[in-house]
Amino acid sequence: MLTYVLRRVGLGLTVLLATLVASFLLFFAGPADPAQAMCPEQRCSPERLTEIRENLGLDRPLAAQFTEYFGGLFVGRDFEFAGDVVHCSAPCLGMSFLTKRPVSEEIFSRFPATVLLALGTVVVLLAVGLTVGVITARARGSALDRLLIGGSQVFGAIPYYVVALVFALYATRIHGILPQAMPLSDGLPGFLAGLIAPCLLLGLVYSAGYARYTRSAMIETLATDYVRTARSKGLDEVTVVRSHALRAAIGPVVTILGLDVAALLSGTLVTEKIFEIDGIGKLSIDALARDDLPVIMGTVLVTAVLVVTLNLVVDIAYSFVDPRVRLS
Amino acid sequence: MSSPGATDALTQTSVGAPARFRDDSPLAPPTGRSGRSPGQVAWDRLRRDKVAIVCAGVILFFVLVALFAPLLTSLQSVDPVTGTRADPYTTHTELLDLNGFPSEGMSSAHWLGIEKGLGRDLFARWAYGARPSLVIGFAAAALSTVLGVTFGLLAGYLGGAVDRAISWVTDFFLSLPLLLLIVAVVPIVELRFGERGSLTAEQTSTIRFWIVMAVLVTFGWMALARLVRGEVVSLREREFVQAARAIGVPTRQILSREILPNLVGPIIVSASIAVPAFITAEATLTFLGAGLVEPTATWGRTIADAQNSFRSYPLWLWPPVLSISALVLALTLLGDSIRDAFDPTTRC
Repeated sequence: MLTYVLRRVGLGLTVLLATLVASFLLFFAGPADPAQAMCPEQRCSPERLTEIRENLGLDRPLAAQFTEYFGGLFVGRDFEFAGDVVHCSAPCLGMSFLTKRPVSEEIFSRFPATVLLALGTVVVLLAVGLTVGVITARARGSALDRLLIGGSQVFGAIPYYVVALVFALYATRIHGILPQAMPLSDGLPGFLAGLIAPCLLLGLVYSAGYARYTRSAMIETLATDYVRTARSKGLDEVTVVRSHALRAAIGPVVTILGLDVAALLSGTLVTEKIFEIDGIGKLSIDALARDDLPVIMGTVLVTAVLVVTLNLVVDIAYSFVDPRVRLS
Repeated sequence: MSSPGATDALTQTSVGAPARFRDDSPLAPPTGRSGRSPGQVAWDRLRRDKVAIVCAGVILFFVLVALFAPLLTSLQSVDPVTGTRADPYTTHTELLDLNGFPSEGMSSAHWLGIEKGLGRDLFARWAYGARPSLVIGFAAAALSTVLGVTFGLLAGYLGGAVDRAISWVTDFFLSLPLLLLIVAVVPIVELRFGERGSLTAEQTSTIRFWIVMAVLVTFGWMALARLVRGEVVSLREREFVQAARAIGVPTRQILSREILPNLVGPIIVSASIAVPAFITAEATLTFLGAGLVEPTATWGRTIADAQNSFRSYPLWLWPPVLSISALVLALTLLGDSIRDAFDPTTRC
């Protein structure tokens, strides 16, 4: 068991290190010139460009830049902007070229929106997915089953961003059935109300898959002997379904949920862009549009850490549940 | 040792619902299918699947639209104001009013009206717009399938250090935030081909097309590689492969003649699911600003432009929205049907 855990943790660490090196090479040794991006309207004299490069340390050897960045992750580092020294405390992911604030601060200030969006989505997807899965498994083969499963199949097959766009345009902007998104700075009630529409939509889209997993797992467990035993000893149907059948069926669903939560926490680029929610996803898209390399790299790193960690947690948790996994 | 007939009877009773058998599938006697390959069985089942036929029809419609886009566009009549037939690229500001809105709606010269702002013909842009979606969808699916099968075969059959290396790369790629990374990589790769502003719009557009394709393929092969590797690891130890190895068949032939034919089902299924996924990915990237760019006519581009005027000019938004939804839906449902056709547990 311990070897398995250690091996998985080791693998996760190599993946994180590779992500760090790869994204550093891609963004800082790549052809994009951060100094150009920092110039207003991209019109700077060559002297000014050299000055900016020196300021950012871009003229130094790549290895030195990398060690500095890597060191900053653990002990923090100081930056100099036009004479002012700004301290960036660990974990330092660099400074945003545009706002001149530490990237980690930028990312953490956007986290509440993304986390709340993910939470709301999980609530909706579990409520809808499990309910539909249980109902269709019990009414297997009926018209209701075909309608719900067929409907979720069709709904899940349409490109997500098209569904989201049409929903956002018509439900929140033209007809105003659901409130539009508001920044957190305008007050909590408005902000939370604005999250209803995206949570509802994301949850419904994700729930299609969960309904199908739950349905097939429930069909299996409902046919087992222990469910028959539970019924024959006179338990009421609700207890049989909830405590005997669903509990056994929910294992694989939890595994998939772990991975989906990682994806949700890394920022849902499309959802946050379409509904204009100030989360991680929108931060990275905005940074891309403005060549703000440290912010892009920071979000890539932070999301990679999230995904790797949650993958690890799910795998290890699963190996406790199912001992066969450890042997592979 | 039970005969095939006995096994069938056993599975039927254990499933316990002979009445649920779909009436369109044959309750073929075991002797009737003993000589057919899994591919033939799947093909027969697919031909009887009504959903699959309808989906294939929808896909064929869009393929024909893409192939004959110039012909379809030339069927529109000559515009009385410009005196020319519409094409997808020429701008006609003379057809717009002072606010940039088209001065007339649908007409015989412009079946879907004209674009706000630039006055280009929307039917022509819709018909030509089917091309990049289909080309990227099918080409990227084909290329990533080749990559995935190759890596999966090598990792699974050779084992050892090769397996560890390929599996590590697979795990590495799968744990990256792919959409974010792709959105970030596309403009960076583009700068390799020339500084901003040094290329014409057409050149940029063509370069973007190939970059998007390459990036989608680069990040799209992992799931299949993992699947193929798992299958190969178990096939490698089977008697017929060991027999082939024992009589000295070269590795290349073992892979292509003994192992690959056993993987046809999963590979076809995975490729058919990949096509709609890549079409969606391309349209999503285009919408986020990291996909295809003007002047190439694409549905994703039209949707991104039209969403800002959806209130006053919904006709601009709806044709590409409905088309891409119908195309991806048809491809996905056809993929599901193909998977069911290859799946022995749903076979009756």
